[in-house]
Amino acid sequence: MAKIEALNVRKTFRIRSNRTNRNAAGNCDFVALDGFSLSINKGEFLVILGPSGCGKSTFLDMLAGLTKPDEGEITIDGKPIAGPGLDRGVVFQQYALFAWRTALSNVSFGLEAKKIEKKARADLAKKYLSLVGLSGFEDRYPFELSGGMKQRVAIARALAIEPEVLLMDEPFAALDAQTREILQTDLLRIRDQTQKTVVFVTHSIEEAVFLADRVAVMTARPGVVKKIVEVPISREARYSDDVKVSPEFTKTRHELMALLKEEVVKSQEICSKCTIEDCGLGSGRTPVAPLPVPVSLGSK
Amino acid sequence: MEASNSTNVNKPASFDVLGLLKTIIHKSAAIVIFLIIWQLAPTIGLVNAIFIPPPSVVFIEMVKLTLSGELITQTLASLSRVIFGFGLALLVALPLGFLLGGWFKNFETAVDPLLQVLGQANPFTLFPVFMALLGIGEISKIAIIYWVCQWPVLFNTVTGIRNVDPILIKVARTAGLSKLQLFWKVLLPASLPTVLTGIRMGAAFSFFMLIGAEMIGASSGLGFMIIEAEGTFQISKMYAGIVTVALLGIIVNMIMIQFEKRVTRWKEDINL
Repeated sequence: MAKIEALNVRKTFRIRSNRTNRNAAGNCDFVALDGFSLSINKGEFLVILGPSGCGKSTFLDMLAGLTKPDEGEITIDGKPIAGPGLDRGVVFQQYALFAWRTALSNVSFGLEAKKIEKKARADLAKKYLSLVGLSGFEDRYPFELSGGMKQRVAIARALAIEPEVLLMDEPFAALDAQTREILQTDLLRIRDQTQKTVVFVTHSIEEAVFLADRVAVMTARPGVVKKIVEVPISREARYSDDVKVSPEFTKTRHELMALLKEEVVKSQEICSKCTIEDCGLGSGRTPVAPLPVPVSLGSK
Repeated sequence: MEASNSTNVNKPASFDVLGLLKTIIHKSAAIVIFLIIWQLAPTIGLVNAIFIPPPSVVFIEMVKLTLSGELITQTLASLSRVIFGFGLALLVALPLGFLLGGWFKNFETAVDPLLQVLGQANPFTLFPVFMALLGIGEISKIAIIYWVCQWPVLFNTVTGIRNVDPILIKVARTAGLSKLQLFWKVLLPASLPTVLTGIRMGAAFSFFMLIGAEMIGASSGLGFMIIEAEGTFQISKMYAGIVTVALLGIIVNMIMIQFEKRVTRWKEDINL
């Protein structure tokens, strides 16, 4: 039986369009996902690949229980998702660390809600910091860590609650190329050690082929799964230095590229019709209002 | 935060006597030069020593007033007003700011224009109103101090809560935090730097208003002492009062900055 099952999911956003792009009602609905179905097996590494604004992050938010589908159903182990839960750990693209907490205390954040006693919390947090390769950095504050290290802390935080499913929303998109490659390999190692089910959203084809057991390619908005591509590379072979130049890797990459190309063209046509803000929303992020300037007189 | 605090960042831990001396000279040079000019100008007859007595005279006057107990009594009278007024402002504005910024956002949007108008109203023009309503006793002075310093605390608290990065709230929600936990573990610490700025501004405002209120209508306190000394032509006593008020302001600001640094240790120091 599939671990996660999404059936005919539909999700629309109502957004206030800006003055230059107002339709008769003053608002415009847009459909992020429509008729989206996907089943994810226990223990697999599934990558969702799609053009920007296709609703892939929206789907991840729904898996995390942060938003609910308008129609359709998503189940985990046969039970519909009712809300956020500690059976799912989430890693976001922005590191989303608590700046006032040390690395160790960031990792134990989720454990505090689990009502685990302090000593056990610290032990667990230490264990997961060392799993992501950050032993010795327990007392550092986020501002003392590099981007890659911050994302490692975020991964450790998601793992520390010992979830069955790890949800990752473009976690390496903000990192430089070298750091990204190192973290990708480390993620595979962590997955092998912890045997989690991983749902990983990206728009990088290379990343998808390298990490995934299966890649779900999405269409442009409204997003549905266009095709599921199996990556014919064994888990062990991925640690090899020349996996990325192997014929299987190249072939899969070409296949994905061809699938994605049409969708990117389509999504850009959609984007040219709407505002840039609409596209930003399409990727499922919380609509970001222009931030008011914080009042901070007397500081330099 | 303050430029003056950034000089001792990134220094080796070993005790650097020469460096420390340099820092002290660097920081105090302007004050020392100012004091020398102030001392010399009346002494050599550049300005009238009756109206601008040299700092040495003011200092002696301060010692005399301290020994007679008057300066201490007046300072305590002033400080107690500040503590009550400012304390009341914190008690009201902090919870109100958290509620308006965090839980009742629509209500906040509705009342914000009104609050802005009230906050902008010149408190000195309101002082007669407070006196008419609350009499000329302690209550009206404490009330006006409270009124003045609640605004920066309130506005900064609302801004602080509103500007908490939504992604942090998302993380807290995925961890299954309750509303109360969300406040204590995420909203409060994330908004703390902005809130503390508001508190520091409130503290500074409270001193402004205190002296103003005491000058308009009081029979004790430093403001009263200054205005009374002026009226009875005790010029050096007047200056003693002025210097005391300035010193109090500096001390309070320093305490606030140290407190801020303590609770926001996790913030990156920026060398400018």
